[in-house]
Amino acid sequence: MVKSKRKPVEEIKDSIADYNKILTVGCGGCASVCLAGGQREVNELNAELNTVFRLEKKMKKLGSYTVERQCNMQFLIELDEKIKDYDCVLSMACGAGVQLMAERYPAIPVFPAVNTVSIGVDREIGMYEEKCRACGECVLAYTGGICPVTRCAKGLFNGPCGGTNRGKCEISQDIPCAWLDIYERLKSQNRLDDILKIQQPMQWKNQVQRTTVQEPYEKRYYR
Amino acid sequence: MAKINTAGVDTDRVKERLDQYKTKMKLSLKACAHCTLCAESCFLYMARDKDPKYTPSYKFINSIGILYKKKGMVDKVTLGEIRDNVWERCALCTRCYCPLGINIPEMLALARSICREQGVYPRYDRE
Amino acid sequence: MVNSALFDFIRGPLVWISFVVFLLGLVFQTYRFFSLTKKNPHVIYNPRPRKKISKESIDHFINKTKLSVAGVNPVMIIVTTVFHICLIIAPLFLLAHNLLLDQAIGFSLFSFSEKMTDYLTIVLLICGLYFLYRRLFVPKVRAITDWYDYVILLIATAPFITGFIAYHQLVPDYRLIITLHILAGEIMLMAVPFTKFVHMVFFFVFRFTIESEYSLGKGNRTW
Repeated sequence: MVKSKRKPVEEIKDSIADYNKILTVGCGGCASVCLAGGQREVNELNAELNTVFRLEKKMKKLGSYTVERQCNMQFLIELDEKIKDYDCVLSMACGAGVQLMAERYPAIPVFPAVNTVSIGVDREIGMYEEKCRACGECVLAYTGGICPVTRCAKGLFNGPCGGTNRGKCEISQDIPCAWLDIYERLKSQNRLDDILKIQQPMQWKNQVQRTTVQEPYEKRYYR
Repeated sequence: MAKINTAGVDTDRVKERLDQYKTKMKLSLKACAHCTLCAESCFLYMARDKDPKYTPSYKFINSIGILYKKKGMVDKVTLGEIRDNVWERCALCTRCYCPLGINIPEMLALARSICREQGVYPRYDRE
Repeated sequence: MVNSALFDFIRGPLVWISFVVFLLGLVFQTYRFFSLTKKNPHVIYNPRPRKKISKESIDHFINKTKLSVAGVNPVMIIVTTVFHICLIIAPLFLLAHNLLLDQAIGFSLFSFSEKMTDYLTIVLLICGLYFLYRRLFVPKVRAITDWYDYVILLIATAPFITGFIAYHQLVPDYRLIITLHILAGEIMLMAVPFTKFVHMVFFFVFRFTIESEYSLGKGNRTW
């Protein structure tokens, strides 16, 4: 799922500084599961903001509410009534949720309270590892299930660069070379031929907004 | 015992799934003290005006609890009710609090898995 | 009025039987718990230096407490804490129990004054009444309550009610009421490992060893 991390309170405070009635909206989807923006985090953020504002002797009204997901309009409908009492929204959902909220309520500002980091996996409670950058050109079939876009600093698709140093990336001794891991994995599965096939380099399709349509629905939306 | 119509439900498979996790689930069901301290930790409970049907303990007692009580002999109607409980009323956000440390999401996930296997699941394409 | 043989059985062998069942049952349940979970050693990831205690961290702590279950349900938490404390210490440090223990095995714990244990019993019964009120009148609790919960509440409070009545000799037939008291205590002890009373050990075992968002202390087991 999408993993995110809450912004520092100072940054959040600065963005909402000009507003006096703030509704903090949490998300019961990815943000809840990665412990970044669920109901509990909404309450904790409001408590921290309250403390901070009290110290600065500012009176602000902080409301809280958590919706099932912020990435689907049908779940935002229940906010329509609530939003009337506030002059800005602080969303704890991922970037997608923040933008959909902003689209639904164009008249009032919507501020993000978390930084969306990546699509990742759960390692331990509270620890999440990035696994996917949503590049749209998945080559995991040929790399033994290890993503070169995420793990290789140069995003190479056809083997390591000359900078591999004792199995570590030339950027830092803490980062294992992705292509070495790919090689080892494919070797243990007897699939080294897969990296002998030359892949075309990354097309960087994820630099422009993409709309995904599932094949059974293409007839509906394409002319 | 009245014969119930279990048409359309592979009760043997349901029983098999239930037996796989029997000890753990039954222990959790037994350990639940029915204290409802889990209620306020569920954001859906808070967002639905504290409707008691959204209490996490209510959700698992009336889904996996029913499956174990009936020993897997359920019909499509019951599975449909369980579907409403675990999909409509739960987002599986896994944030439910239990003072006894019972793993509530796991039970609801198992109920979802059993329903899904029997062809009972929310149809996101039928809005 | 009570059959002499039955009375002798209840206050004789059945006492020891109930203790044995209690202890063995708890051992069994704990063993079952440990066999259902497995060790899951933590991954160490860039440990951060510990922050010192400051006004900020105290505020943070207060906020966290307010948002925890104690802040949200303060009455219930206080009542249940008091109930459980009285439940444990009243029978353990009761003069009458310690006298019997001394007669039986030559060793006993120290005792509170009888007035004190009287007060503890009354406090406990008031807490029990609060629980009953909750079961009957609070909608979210009533939705999941069934006859079993009422029976369990009765089993938990019966030893104290009968003990109180027996001590104050409110009923003319002392033998009957003391038999009921002993029987109630034995039923409660034997019920502990096999009903939801097992939360006596499971609370500690689940909350302290299993790692989860709400675990107390560092757990390193997982289901």
